[in-house]
Amino acid sequence: MRTDLQMIRAHMGYVFGASLVAWRQYEEHRTMCFFANFVGNRTCKSAHGSSCIVARVLLIVLTIIFACNPSAAHETQPISIRGTRKQGFVIKSSDLVVLESRLGEKQLTETGVYVCLSASLPVYATPLVETYTERELIMHSISSRPTPLASDGGAAGHMSSSASGYPTEANFSSASAQARRPHNYPFISQSSSVQTMQPVNHPMENIDVFWRTEPLQAFLDFPENISVENGQVESSVGVMASDEHVKRTDWQEWADQLITPDDPLESSWSDVLVDGDVPDHKPMVMEPSIGSSARQTHVHHPMPSGETCLDTTPLPTAPQHKARMRWTPEHHEAFVEAVNKLGGSERATPKCVLKLMNVEGLTIYHVKSHLQKYRTARYKPESSEGRPEKKLAPLEEITSLDLKNRSIGITEALKLQMEVQKQLHEQLEIQRNLQLRIEEQGRYLQMMFEQQKKMDDERLKASSSNPDESPAPLPTKVVQPSLPADDLTASEQDNVKTGSGGTSATTALEEIPQHPDARGSSPQPTKRARVD
Amino acid sequence: MKFGKRLKQQIQETFPGWRDKFVSYKDLKKLVRLISAAPPMMNGSLEFGRAEAEFVYSLNNEIEKLNAFFMEQEEDFVIRHKEVKQRIERVAHIWGPNGSNPSEMIHKEEMERIKKDIVDFHGEMVLLMNYSNVNYTGLAKILKKYDKRTGGLLRSPFIQKVLQQPFFTTDLISKLVKECETTIDTVFPAAAEENEGGGGGGEGIQREGDTIKVSGEGIFRNAVAALLTMQELRRGSSTYSHFSLPPLNLSDSDLIQSVQLNSPIPIP
Repeated sequence: MRTDLQMIRAHMGYVFGASLVAWRQYEEHRTMCFFANFVGNRTCKSAHGSSCIVARVLLIVLTIIFACNPSAAHETQPISIRGTRKQGFVIKSSDLVVLESRLGEKQLTETGVYVCLSASLPVYATPLVETYTERELIMHSISSRPTPLASDGGAAGHMSSSASGYPTEANFSSASAQARRPHNYPFISQSSSVQTMQPVNHPMENIDVFWRTEPLQAFLDFPENISVENGQVESSVGVMASDEHVKRTDWQEWADQLITPDDPLESSWSDVLVDGDVPDHKPMVMEPSIGSSARQTHVHHPMPSGETCLDTTPLPTAPQHKARMRWTPEHHEAFVEAVNKLGGSERATPKCVLKLMNVEGLTIYHVKSHLQKYRTARYKPESSEGRPEKKLAPLEEITSLDLKNRSIGITEALKLQMEVQKQLHEQLEIQRNLQLRIEEQGRYLQMMFEQQKKMDDERLKASSSNPDESPAPLPTKVVQPSLPADDLTASEQDNVKTGSGGTSATTALEEIPQHPDARGSSPQPTKRARVD
Repeated sequence: MKFGKRLKQQIQETFPGWRDKFVSYKDLKKLVRLISAAPPMMNGSLEFGRAEAEFVYSLNNEIEKLNAFFMEQEEDFVIRHKEVKQRIERVAHIWGPNGSNPSEMIHKEEMERIKKDIVDFHGEMVLLMNYSNVNYTGLAKILKKYDKRTGGLLRSPFIQKVLQQPFFTTDLISKLVKECETTIDTVFPAAAEENEGGGGGGEGIQREGDTIKVSGEGIFRNAVAALLTMQELRRGSSTYSHFSLPPLNLSDSDLIQSVQLNSPIPIP
């Protein structure tokens, strides 16, 4: 086990070192290919086994990163994995270019692998480094023309079996996001939407939550069950991604770290990642609750600049969905603009729209589904799909001209409808505000309660040493909250036209002082007859 | 059980596609009952802890469900909102008096269609807000029950969390509704054109003397139902406290007083 680890590290170190050199000449992809080939051959000739595969696969990714072929990034060709899977890796010089170009459109294949990469700038190095898992890299490599290397046949087979080991080791509920296919290629939802247009990118932010942790975790799990702190990884991953400038230094550090032996793999990874500069702006909020307590994340839109943050609502639910996106009109505007630039909703592809939109936290999933909705809404202007079924009353019923039962005209009917709807809206707004305030009040009361209790405790302590002192009078303290409460209820009365309701609320509040020992510190409402 | 019944009623009356997206009030109540039935933790029993955990887990799942549905609908509305505006522009652009192909008849026809759609759109958005509110109320009630039954203190912090959830932060939808109302005002000319005895009103709306009968299962009906339910829910309860909402008093002049709902058409 240990030797395997060391071997891997050695391989990686080698690869990294070589890649650093290569990186500086990234514009000449021919060199890349040459290098890749060279390294590939080298690693191929080394010891067989999973370590070899890892290294080989790593190199593919690196080459992809460094290949610079922006025009190809716009090609959207599906990556078909099924057919080529059996044929193992592809490391051919020309293929690498093709490979890179192929990584345009993400394609949900039967194996459930979902890859979206568009490489063009070295900034991609960072996020793609995170793709160091055998599974993903296989997918990359398989996309281009299958040219099996001689030694690959066995290796591929071996790899698939070793890959299957990982899902079981990865004991995170993010694993549930992966569909377990019979041949054990787990579903990886990822989207590293990197833009070619903008130099300052934050690709990591676009990467789906589960994708981010999962590959890293899986890799770190190999070959030992190294449990890395989710939080550490998460925050460091975020940190890493957001600053472009540190990319170069990161690479250096990585290379250094990985070449030095004896450090546990875990710490070397963590150190490397953590050493990235802290970004000035707010990175994706990636709280360490991914994994065993994987939760739904949704993207909220706080900043006008179009940046989005992942709000992490700490719900321990199974992550069947990808991070949910909350579309705002601004987002939609940007979306429509992008679509129009690309020639309309029919011609635009999710990947390109994603790139054009350049919104942090937006994944290709979001764009895809949004595009679908958009298309439907446009081509069915009368009744978009999302609308619930409406039963139109039969015409006979309406056109019957009865003296008593007069059918009303369209406009009048519409006006009527609007009236009711407006009223419902108004009442809902009021109700919602009331609910908010009620909770606010409740919190305030609770606070007062707790404060009072604290004071009581203190006074008790004081009085134990000084028996003459008496505890502070209770009502004066607690009556205070009823004053703001009065204000609130008074204003609400105007809105709601509920005289009785308002006074009931106030009397209820005033009754609190008489029950200071209500359960705990929370002013639990006791069952009482309606005060009226 | 009053709320439970009301909720059930409302679910029945709502759109078919929405029926399973409401909070599972009844099931949650059952869980609370289980918890209170389970022996308390002090006795070293595991049941309580397990039941409690299940309750919290279910709550979170419910919230998730609500969020997902709400955001999905919200997204749809954002799209449609823009589309409606564009549609109006397009129609005016093509068939309007200054348009490229002015045709009063087609213009009028299209505008009629748009009017109908926009009013329905407005209605749907409002109904989504109602959805949000009803579910919030359900959750608040469940939490209150839980605290009461178990003496726990789950309600307060949990409800704070709920208040932050997407499905309850309806500001965007509210804004869209208001914008919609403005658009409607511009689309509907100020002069009310009475269209006596002809054409189809959106749903079966008939005037019987002073009452307006609404049949069908459409948006208007749902809106009316929602308002009535709201009124019912806020009538005095036996557990009235400072956490309860005051009664909903719609003024006598309000339209809603004169609206009578026919029983819903049964679904085969």
